[in-house]
Amino acid sequence: MDLDLSEEQQMVIDMTKAMLEEHCPTQLVRDMEDDPKGVPDALWKQMSELGLNGLLIPESYGGGGLGTLEGAFLYEELGRAMAPVPHFVSCVMSAKLLLAAGSDDQKKAWLPKIADGSAILTPAWLEPSRGFGEKGVSLEAKADGDGFTLSGRKRSVPYASVADRLIVLARTDAGIDLFLVDPNASGVQMKQLLSQGREPQYQIDFEGVSVSATDRIGAAGTGWATFNEVMLEGIILLAAQAVGGADRCLKETVDYANERVQFDKPLGAFQALAHYMADASTSIDGGRVLVHEAAWNASEGRSVARFGPMAKLFCCEAYRETTRVCAQIWGGVAFTIEYDQQMFFRRAKQLQLSWWDTPYLEELIAADVLD
Amino acid sequence: MDFDFLPEEQKFADEVDAWLVENHDPEVMDHHRENFTQLSDTPERRAFMKKLAAKGWLGMSWPKEFGGQEIEGVYEYILNEALSKHASPQIGKGVGIIGKTLIRHGNDFLKQKFLPMVLDADVEFAVGYSEPEAGSDAANMQLKAEKVDGGWLLNGQKMWTTSAHFADWYWVGARTDPDKKKHDGLSLFLVNMDNPNLEVQSLPTIGKDTTNQVFFDDVFVPDEYLVGQRGKGFQMISEALDLERFTMFTLSPIANRSEVLVDWVKQATRDDEPLKNDTNVRRTIAHIVTDTAVAKALSTRFVCAAKSGGKPPTIQSSQYKLFTTSLSQRVCKDALDIQGHEGAIMEGQDDAPLRGRFEGAYRATMNETVGGGSSEIQKNIIARRHLGLPKNF
Repeated sequence: MDLDLSEEQQMVIDMTKAMLEEHCPTQLVRDMEDDPKGVPDALWKQMSELGLNGLLIPESYGGGGLGTLEGAFLYEELGRAMAPVPHFVSCVMSAKLLLAAGSDDQKKAWLPKIADGSAILTPAWLEPSRGFGEKGVSLEAKADGDGFTLSGRKRSVPYASVADRLIVLARTDAGIDLFLVDPNASGVQMKQLLSQGREPQYQIDFEGVSVSATDRIGAAGTGWATFNEVMLEGIILLAAQAVGGADRCLKETVDYANERVQFDKPLGAFQALAHYMADASTSIDGGRVLVHEAAWNASEGRSVARFGPMAKLFCCEAYRETTRVCAQIWGGVAFTIEYDQQMFFRRAKQLQLSWWDTPYLEELIAADVLD
Repeated sequence: MDFDFLPEEQKFADEVDAWLVENHDPEVMDHHRENFTQLSDTPERRAFMKKLAAKGWLGMSWPKEFGGQEIEGVYEYILNEALSKHASPQIGKGVGIIGKTLIRHGNDFLKQKFLPMVLDADVEFAVGYSEPEAGSDAANMQLKAEKVDGGWLLNGQKMWTTSAHFADWYWVGARTDPDKKKHDGLSLFLVNMDNPNLEVQSLPTIGKDTTNQVFFDDVFVPDEYLVGQRGKGFQMISEALDLERFTMFTLSPIANRSEVLVDWVKQATRDDEPLKNDTNVRRTIAHIVTDTAVAKALSTRFVCAAKSGGKPPTIQSSQYKLFTTSLSQRVCKDALDIQGHEGAIMEGQDDAPLRGRFEGAYRATMNETVGGGSSEIQKNIIARRHLGLPKNF
């Protein structure tokens, strides 16, 4: 049992930290809020050049071939910087979906481009008034000659405006399938939905959109199983992102608590406030090791059916609670746009509500334990 | 990074586990005793500790010159987790606080007298720090140790001494230098519990066991029973407490309670429906399992920090203690909530769910967030030493 970092892991951390400090200042994050594209070209280019976009993609497709554990180190830094990039949707979810079930042609066509940042893919998954589970996918893909015709509405699709392809979850006669869809295809219409975390999200209507059979990822009816497996591993990275955000939020708050004086004492000298911060640090430090254990299990090829949901459930709540108590320490200024605290506060809640929320994760864990 | 034990560590864990299964004895191992399972307070439990000593499992991490094997502390962690998993007595104060402090600071006489007894499980200790005026403010001990010819005369009172009613020797902090600052005026002594001028009064608790107050009336302690340097008592106590926090609150009992609860939920019904289908029950179980995994993560952090050498893992141990003791109580509370009105049927009756395991555990764990440094003290430690916040009291 050891928590030591390998040289390679330490390099991922150092390189990412240094790059984000230079290319992702908080002002840039602010500038990207509500922006229709939402990703700064220069930052995306930097990440591609450093190999971070291809980090988890096999070397045979132009990636770095590293595992989920290394991914967790990257994601803690992305969370810390609140980096406004489509890395998760493209370089994790889409890449892993293709890797898990894509045809050779699909993999060859897209993985090298995802790895070098020249293409962005994003899953189109959620729907209005529908949940996170298999039942939630109702968008219809009707068999039509050699291909399919898609009709329905998707909601909260991140970075759809910069996507070269959508990976649409749709219902066929066989069950749920995944389709690569060109967002510029005839019948696709999108409109931006402003979101609490202010990343670009889109509502997309599909009106009789034709896709060919070769654009289906995987065998008929296997889409949900593929998506579920990729999610179980992907959410570990989001848990790492939560740890990074919470950690920075707390550090900035501790600095403030050491400077700001009331009643002739620094705020940190009041136990009521110091204990909030001690609790937050305990959740963050414990959550981080849980993330590493989950990621390590994934990297070792072991099941993360329980670890993945546990990591996201715990770390997203730790992030949300950290931002809540930190706001108590900052006082009124935490509520103003001028201060950065509100940026963590909003992102923490959005992350908790996205990519499987608390009740969904609780049920996954309960089912694994009880059923 | 590696979350598995090394093959040789795993081999040891398996060996201990198999040995405990083979040597199972309901007189010695009883989960209903909850945290008090760790004490060797009956002849049967003392005999069990002798068997453990014969296996060479006491003092494994000690230096060879004192009869140890100089192996890594992780083996003692593995051993204690296995012992607590089986609800058997644990290697405790003798190998930990007292043995290790004597090795670092004790005089030759004390080392020669006590270390072999610890290794052979021939001695049980009580630890006396708390007093009526020294609870969380541990450095405020007032028990007076007055220098007299050939030794010291101790007068005053100790509180909350868990093992005083059966221990052989008493590890006691006392004020030798009242004129010095409060942290610098304390020294440590070993006192024979047979001393007729010591009076032990038991204080029954709502848990399974008793704690004690102990009165000192002109208790004479010979010079050679002063531990380490005069005036360094508090320093030695703090150093050793880092070890105690970890050995006092093993994770296995919590993991065991979670498993017992899950197994019970799986087969229980309410209004003829399986209880496990209740959404609230499912949510509660999900959080217990998740928080138990976090407690394990915090213990991994502690063990790895201890393994790497260097500074004692004070912060990691405080975070672990803070999180784990509160989880321990939460599991008991949640279990009672899940059991509903039947949860309140008192332990020990066949009609109670699980014979009242959680009714008893709910009471027995109440003290965990107080003893061994309260949650608030742990938060002060984390705030100052980990986060770098100013002193707040």
